[in-house]
Amino acid sequence: MIQALANWILSFDILAGLGNPIAWGLSLFVVSALIFAFVAVNAIVLVYFERKVSAFMQVRLGPMRVGKFGSLQTVADALKLLQKEDIIPRSADKILFLIGPWVILVASVVTFAAIPFSDTLLAANMNIGLFYVVSISSIVVLGIVMAGWASNNKWSLYGAMRSAAQIISYEIPVGITLIAVVAVVGSLNLQVIVQAQGGVGNLFHWIPLPLPNWFIFHNPFLFLAAFIYLIGATAEINRTPFDIPESESELVAGFMTEYSGLRWALFFLSEYANATLVAFLVSIVFLGGWQSPFADYAGAQIGFLVITLVAVMWTLYVKAKAQRLSIYPVGISLVITLAAWLFPGFAVWLASPGLFWMLMKVASIIFLLMWFRWTFPRLRVDQLMYVSWKVILPISLVNLMGVAVWMWLTGEIQF
Amino acid sequence: MTEQEIYADLTAEFGDKIIEFVVEETLNPTVVVKADSLADICTYLKDTEALQFDSLMNLAGHDSDGVSDLSVIYHFHSTFLDHYITLKIFTPREDSTVDSVANIYRTADWHEREAWDLYGIKFNGHPDLKRILLEEDWEGHPLKKDYVAAEFYRGMRIAKVK
Amino acid sequence: MGRLHAEEMILNMGPQHPSTHGVLRLKLRTDGEIVSHIEPVIGYLHRSFEKHAENLEYQQVTPFCGRCDYLAAMGSEHGYAMAVEKMMGIELPERVEYLRVIFAELQRIASHLVAVGTFGLDVGAITPFIYCFRERELILDLFEMASGARLLYNYIWIGGLAHDIPPGFVEKTYEFLDNFDTRVAEYNQILTGNKIFIERAADIGVMTPEVAINYGVTGPSLRASGVNIDIRRTQPYSIYDRFDFDVPLGEGAQGTVGDSWDRYYVRVREMEESARIIRQALDQLPVEGDVKSAIPRRIRPPKGEIYSRSENARGELGYYVVSNGKNVPLRVKMRSPAFSNLSVINEIGQGWMISDVIAILGSLDIVLGEIDR
Repeated sequence: MIQALANWILSFDILAGLGNPIAWGLSLFVVSALIFAFVAVNAIVLVYFERKVSAFMQVRLGPMRVGKFGSLQTVADALKLLQKEDIIPRSADKILFLIGPWVILVASVVTFAAIPFSDTLLAANMNIGLFYVVSISSIVVLGIVMAGWASNNKWSLYGAMRSAAQIISYEIPVGITLIAVVAVVGSLNLQVIVQAQGGVGNLFHWIPLPLPNWFIFHNPFLFLAAFIYLIGATAEINRTPFDIPESESELVAGFMTEYSGLRWALFFLSEYANATLVAFLVSIVFLGGWQSPFADYAGAQIGFLVITLVAVMWTLYVKAKAQRLSIYPVGISLVITLAAWLFPGFAVWLASPGLFWMLMKVASIIFLLMWFRWTFPRLRVDQLMYVSWKVILPISLVNLMGVAVWMWLTGEIQF
Repeated sequence: MTEQEIYADLTAEFGDKIIEFVVEETLNPTVVVKADSLADICTYLKDTEALQFDSLMNLAGHDSDGVSDLSVIYHFHSTFLDHYITLKIFTPREDSTVDSVANIYRTADWHEREAWDLYGIKFNGHPDLKRILLEEDWEGHPLKKDYVAAEFYRGMRIAKVK
Repeated sequence: MGRLHAEEMILNMGPQHPSTHGVLRLKLRTDGEIVSHIEPVIGYLHRSFEKHAENLEYQQVTPFCGRCDYLAAMGSEHGYAMAVEKMMGIELPERVEYLRVIFAELQRIASHLVAVGTFGLDVGAITPFIYCFRERELILDLFEMASGARLLYNYIWIGGLAHDIPPGFVEKTYEFLDNFDTRVAEYNQILTGNKIFIERAADIGVMTPEVAINYGVTGPSLRASGVNIDIRRTQPYSIYDRFDFDVPLGEGAQGTVGDSWDRYYVRVREMEESARIIRQALDQLPVEGDVKSAIPRRIRPPKGEIYSRSENARGELGYYVVSNGKNVPLRVKMRSPAFSNLSVINEIGQGWMISDVIAILGSLDIVLGEIDR
């Protein structure tokens, strides 16, 4: 994308004299700014989303005052945080205290460089994309330990130590599950991984249920791997039920106890950037990335018929449970289905891959993460380690072997 | 067992350590005992098969008028036999000392600290006798009737009690 | 072979900490995550209740009682009123007794809702807390209807009640009770049976009956250890002997008898039992009766003393009242349940992790207002 942008800049007669290196540098800057803008805006939107989701799960309304339905609440909060005094404790290790949050932020933002948002929207098409993302995102732990240690606060130290243990432990099963996918594709390039998931095929190759060729439906082992990855990744980004590094009711705020104002906001920013990254990785690696779930026109129509049926059943369920009729799910899905039948162009648009589907998948995964957070209690630190080393790691190892055997049996790989 | 029977039992066991049995002016029949044998009586109450007072419900210090002796009141309950008894001891105002029962009834630990805090009654053999509700450097023991509050505490004015 | 032993660290939890349920300070001696000794430091909320009581007339003490256990103010007032009434030998009208039971049990539900919700909060489940507060809000609405206040009522007076209940109160209470069972089922769904919750609460902080009794632990925390002592049953006061209700005991359904999960679940089941009592009391509530008829003109209990017990939401609430025949009590000592319940924390919390200490503390359900008084 950077080279394409540079070429585009050079295509103007006035700018052609800049020469390739300068144009390239300019595009690099633009692309980086775009990525950072995406991360920042994304965090603001997600915080609002999180507050609303939690509110609706908890029979509350959530923010309602600033803007329509409180939509500007997080913007106001962000402005407030920017103005707040940046407090540095007297006994803190100043340098580490100051750069800790930035290390975390940088580590979580630069990973987006390798993420393919759509078939063309990709900052850097790396052939080791997956490796890059996994390795860079684990630098976060360095920043957390820095912040926790430098705060010179016992709670922060506990948070940092827990975090280090947790992230490092979960890196391993997460890495192994990702290797299972790499074994199927034969490439670490994220774009190649997405492209390998186009079209429609049978579930697990032989069950006659036409589903998209996503890796989650590729074989039973990858199906399991997707869930292992989701669990491991939830732990890696410190979200409930694995939020022990900042466990509010135990460690006050864990490694960010001493931070305030902008620096505290940076932790928030990177937390949501990491959640988004995980959602992107799940969708790219297991859910077909920017590929449409309805791989062709007919698929779109059938797909939406199914959605309508589900919506009808859901409405009936709501009616039976709460004695209250909600026509919105049925109404909206009916409109979409009718539109898909009546206007082929609409169906074709829905069936074609692109940014829309990517973001839809990401949003669904993030919603799932929020659902976890507002439903589950928190694990204890030793239980967390138990889950990692004695449950998830063995399963993921066996799983990797299972994938290899499956590939050999189905003849997709010859030894 | 009724309180009367328990009193008879205690008198038989401890003789002149038991001073009197009060039923008037109280809704909880009370055995007044000598302060120096309190720990023995408590051990007896707890360990005797027929009594089994395993629960010390309440321990309260008391100062009746600011002149006479301070008293400590112990309310016992047996959870197995479901009977009750109240013990009372008197201790001099100045330099009041009572045997601690915190090692027999762990409940007494904090309650004795509270009595020390508010009445200035020392409990011999208490594992960690220090103030519990008030600050360590508070002057005086406020629930004594002759307590006069200091004017200032760490530079803060103390409100006068009318 | 010994465990790797590093230097021990003193960790100061509180007085400002999200999970100390008020201003409690725990001095933890920790070896890594393991807590080897817990020393509670209390007194941050001391408001000299007992000193105040010695300088106020009997009826003026009532509002102070509510301020001690602010989550179960009705129960605190009830206990105090009963102590003075027994000293004076006041016979209460039937209607007053029934209404007092209704309010005390509603208050027990409200208090247990906070206990259950905050215990969830302590182990990281945030949503059940809000669910519990939804129901608590309905109870507070009922209290507001009757007394005009939502937290501290000064409603149960010596010899009667401040007002009679307004019209519509009984219907609204029935309505609340009708929905309550489904709500309890909801908590069980979201929290009680949750695998992670069970992992966090079961087998944690086991309190044996001997330890519990020796430390003076009372109420749901004691019953969770399997000790069948409920003052409403063993030494019935007011009119509790007229109602049919069970005393839930800890059974160790998910682990050991007397663990944190049991303490939690006993409270959940007690809420259901309280709802049963309220329903029976509402059914039997006499229509006629002046709630103020027995209030004495001058409250001067005869010379003497009493230790009167009642079962408040957190356990045995005792009032030791000494009268010298004047209109001001000579001594009012509140034996608050949470005071003794908290003192056991070092015994049952030693050797557990920091997270467990929080869970154990949450399962004991303390209110600092009545610990510090």
